[in-house]
Amino acid sequence: MSEPTFEEAQRELEAIVERLERGQAPLDEAIALWERGDELLRLCLARLDAAQGRIEELAQRAETAAPFPDPPAPA
Amino acid sequence: MKVEPLHYGERKVYSVAGFNRGVADWVARLPTLWIEGEVTELRRHERWGSVFFTLKDPADGACLPASMPRGRFDALRLDLVDGERVHVYGRPELFAAKADFRLRALSIERFGLGAHLAALEGLKATLAADGLFAQARKRPLPRFPRRVGVVTGNDAAAKRDVLTTIASRFPAADVLVAETLVQGPRAAAGIVAALKAVAAAPEVDVVVLTRGGGSFEDLLPFSDERVVRAVAACSVPVVSAVGHEQDTPLCDLAADVRASTPTAAAKLVVPDVEELRRDLARMRTSLERCGHRALERERQRLRRAGVALERGARRAHEQDARRVELLQERLRRGPELLLERRRAAVERAGARLGTLSPRSTLERGYAIVRAEGGVVRSAEALATGDAVAVELAEGGFGARVEDVRR
Repeated sequence: MSEPTFEEAQRELEAIVERLERGQAPLDEAIALWERGDELLRLCLARLDAAQGRIEELAQRAETAAPFPDPPAPA
Repeated sequence: MKVEPLHYGERKVYSVAGFNRGVADWVARLPTLWIEGEVTELRRHERWGSVFFTLKDPADGACLPASMPRGRFDALRLDLVDGERVHVYGRPELFAAKADFRLRALSIERFGLGAHLAALEGLKATLAADGLFAQARKRPLPRFPRRVGVVTGNDAAAKRDVLTTIASRFPAADVLVAETLVQGPRAAAGIVAALKAVAAAPEVDVVVLTRGGGSFEDLLPFSDERVVRAVAACSVPVVSAVGHEQDTPLCDLAADVRASTPTAAAKLVVPDVEELRRDLARMRTSLERCGHRALERERQRLRRAGVALERGARRAHEQDARRVELLQERLRRGPELLLERRRAAVERAGARLGTLSPRSTLERGYAIVRAEGGVVRSAEALATGDAVAVELAEGGFGARVEDVRR
């Protein structure tokens, strides 16, 4: 099974939480669901952290580079 | 006295003496009157009873022989000179012996200053009425005449003044001099002829008509109608410098320009070469200055344009930079917001998951009991001696059922 996208992971996490909250799942299944939810939560947080890091890296680069070079001084 | 003819049949024939006498009688009945003319060919002889002279019309040269008793002529003490203008009071007479017609003068009056002035005024009015003195007729003088014509007396100081002034101002000038009588009864015709000859000569672009100072009578030829009309009709512009400042002969009025002296006239017809040089130098200087000024002006304009361009570019650049900064900000904040929102959602889900964790239940002291059939929810599923697995918050253990309570 390939890595789910962030959105897929988030949707699945939400579904698991809702299902657990309804309390209808048998205990074994609930534990399995919980473990899966925990896994998805970590995955989502890791993705968010990665995205955050990428954004900060890009912002850093944008700040050091001037948008335009200064016009040449008149002769 | 009755003249009787001879009769040859039908033909009446008169003798010469009879005819002459008859005409003389008829002429003698003509009235006595005043006649104006110039005295010429005055012949006075001590042996003669009469003085003889010819009256000449100054305008067209018509002649009238005249005589006057010598005693009467001498009594007038006129001292007439040849060409002098006079008024003669007399009557026509035919000398019968020779059919010699003449005016028998009873009195002669010198044509005096007053008469001259009156005649001049009359002529002036006539010529003015003909438009000869009109300002509109005046032509401008050429700035650089190819040739200058000078009409003047043959040994006049005026001539010398004109020539030396022209030579000193503009040495390269080409001058054509026509000498003429400038006073006396034949002067007017001479002036007209000289003027025409000079104006007709090739390349003559302007004519100076000049004469030094003189008496009123000396200057009269320059007010002669023929001279005045010739000046007005001249094919090239005429500068008139006749007499002194206060004299105004009529030719001055008809000329294109009037100069007070011959020297002044010469100054009018040729430029001063030194002045030309100075003018040229001045023009060159001012040309240079203008050029410099124009150059400096253009340079300043360019400089200003450069400054404006730079300012404009800077402003555009600043605007662009600000826009980019904003975009950069939004670019950064966009994903951050999204991320925060996502993180919040995920964390919310995480928190909910946390509360649902079976482990947190175990942490509060609960245990999960599993038997052959899975998680044990009811004592019904157990019998004494069954092996069960107990899961705790930390670790677990196996056990056997000792008793079952239902």
